[in-house]
Amino acid sequence: MTWREKDRWQRLFSTGAALSILLFSTGCERRQSALHPASVNAERIADLFWWMVGGGLIIWAVVMAIAFFATRAHPEAHGVRSARWLILGGGVAFPVVVLTGLLIYGLMLMPQLSSTADIDLEIDVAGEQWWWRVTYQTAAGEPVELANEIRLPVGQRALFRLTSPDVIHSFWIPPLGGKVDMIPGRTNTLVLEPTQTGTFRGACAEYCGSSHALMKFEVMVMEPDAFADWLNRQAQPAQPPQSESARQGQTAFLANGCGACHTVRGTEANGTLGPDLTHVGSRLSLGAGILPVDPEAFTRWIGHTGAIKPDVKMPSFGMLPEDQLPAMAQYLSELQ
Amino acid sequence: MPFQSAKAYARQAAVLTGQGLRWLVAGSWKRVFAILALASILVAAGGFFLASVGLVSISASSGHSPVTAWFLHYTMRNAVRLQSSGKVPPLNDPALIAKGAGHYETGCLACHGAPGRDQSLIVRQMTPEPPYLPPRISEWKPEELFWIVKNGIKFSAMPAWPALKREDEIWAMVAFLQQLPDMTAARYKELAHGDRDATTDEPVTPDHLRALADPLGPVLANCTRCHGEDGNGRGLGAFPKLAGQSEAYLLASLQSYASGDRHSGIMQPVAAGLDQPVLAALASHYASLPAGGETAEPAPSNESIRRGAELASSGVPERNVPSCIHCHGPKKSPRNDRYPAIEGQYSAYLKQQLELFSSEKRGGTAYAHIMHIAAHRLTPEQIQDLANYYASLSSATPPESQR
Repeated sequence: MTWREKDRWQRLFSTGAALSILLFSTGCERRQSALHPASVNAERIADLFWWMVGGGLIIWAVVMAIAFFATRAHPEAHGVRSARWLILGGGVAFPVVVLTGLLIYGLMLMPQLSSTADIDLEIDVAGEQWWWRVTYQTAAGEPVELANEIRLPVGQRALFRLTSPDVIHSFWIPPLGGKVDMIPGRTNTLVLEPTQTGTFRGACAEYCGSSHALMKFEVMVMEPDAFADWLNRQAQPAQPPQSESARQGQTAFLANGCGACHTVRGTEANGTLGPDLTHVGSRLSLGAGILPVDPEAFTRWIGHTGAIKPDVKMPSFGMLPEDQLPAMAQYLSELQ
Repeated sequence: MPFQSAKAYARQAAVLTGQGLRWLVAGSWKRVFAILALASILVAAGGFFLASVGLVSISASSGHSPVTAWFLHYTMRNAVRLQSSGKVPPLNDPALIAKGAGHYETGCLACHGAPGRDQSLIVRQMTPEPPYLPPRISEWKPEELFWIVKNGIKFSAMPAWPALKREDEIWAMVAFLQQLPDMTAARYKELAHGDRDATTDEPVTPDHLRALADPLGPVLANCTRCHGEDGNGRGLGAFPKLAGQSEAYLLASLQSYASGDRHSGIMQPVAAGLDQPVLAALASHYASLPAGGETAEPAPSNESIRRGAELASSGVPERNVPSCIHCHGPKKSPRNDRYPAIEGQYSAYLKQQLELFSSEKRGGTAYAHIMHIAAHRLTPEQIQDLANYYASLSSATPPESQR
């Protein structure tokens, strides 16, 4: 073996290793993987995907076998008749049959996937640069608005009405389904029926501006009872601040005019430009899926908004007196 | 070299000259070009030699030679004529004229004089000597004056405007300049000194000099020219009401003028010349005065005020314009005292500030970036309605200091 050949083998090996790491790492994060379906529709699509992968592998093996047979096992000239049969059979008849079958299967799947019958729950989601405005329509009356978080009862069919007030976004929760565009001036619908509880992660799947990559959200599928409790709590007005620090935080929050863009139900803060913060302390993430929810993260976010999320509409409030940021962070974390 | 008589030298020189002339006349265009090039190099080298040994006349006392003076003016006039252009806004607004007058007294008077006021004797020793302006204004078109005030003139002592973004202020200056030719001394005093002119007609007594013992006296007298003795801006809408504004906001604004973070060719030079304790004393003084005062502004329609009230409380969510009241009131809970109180402020002043914010030309304190976002998407009609609404409210007491 010459050095050149050895070099080639080494290169092949390292490329293969890198590829397999890439391939397997996609499976590591189950909560954002379409290969680990957790809803009825996602399971159907995953089934179709695995059938196609399996069928494709078989076809690939057969083609390779024929190639090996024709070039290595029997390298001599082959008969025109048998070659013609192979071309017509393998190149025309076989793809027509297989693709027609797949088409019929896919067409049959579509009405099930897009059906909006038997809905248990309706949720409006607006993709905005760069966060998600989520509104639950409740049977009781007032819609409940929250942000960057979707919770669903397991085994129930939820209808999403997807819109956008600014540019095109795309709503995608890989384990549950989606990749449905949110187009300004249009309402697209999507039905999801989760089959298992757990926490999943969604993302915007259509480039929508400088912070597109920072437009995520958390999805939690819960038992129906726990979900009902949660939604009930989200519908309540904010609880008054408990600690002294949080009280100072609330005063600062209102005095600095945060209420011009944010709503905290039960206070004078009634702005609708930014996310509703009534229960922001109970959320699973901050800043649309990019920071944890704790006082430290709130302090960072309020003081360096534009540095954490470029071109975000919220102005950074790093110029506030030093003691105000931690107090406001405490207040917001206590909004359970 | 053997001795030759002078006659022989002269003969030799005449021969050489004759040869040179014959050579030139018989020469081609290339030779003429070479000679011209050689001559200009010699002239340049000669000039450089004079500058090197220090023989060039640079004294202001000697003035320019008539040729130099003519050439410099010729160049300047042609450049200004060519480079000035653009639309001239209406210039007969009394608010604009008063604003220009206030700054003329600060920045222009010493060099250019004014009706009833001579140029400084020191300034008159400059070369070129700055012209006494009143009879000279009519030589220029308004857009030419705008260009000169904005850009200044090289090789003269005419400076550029300190805040180039503030073209509105430069037009105010031009508006005042337009009035200069027919202006009486009394009118100038009234414009540039505001309500102080009533007292200046009284006989001067040694008692008046006692004010000099008060270190803030002369500073405050200067502020008063535009903002009025009561700090309520003289009712014109050109100058904001300072009376009753929060001390923290006044101080932060003065500091941002002084540092250049808030842009104004009028206020920056004033604030930059004052020490921190003086700025703090001024902020405290104006915060303690009662807000109020008459306004000469025309009353807006109730419809406009109603639209403004609606905008102030709800903003325009679909255009990403937040409400105003959460920061500026009126509301019950305390406000950050770094946010100005704008209730009862002049409509014209509010309108102008919103326009400056929306075009990002205003600058301001560390909080100014919030307003850039807020005002960016307001339409001109919305700006007018908001200004009318806040002007229609009565001046509130300053917000409680919360810290």
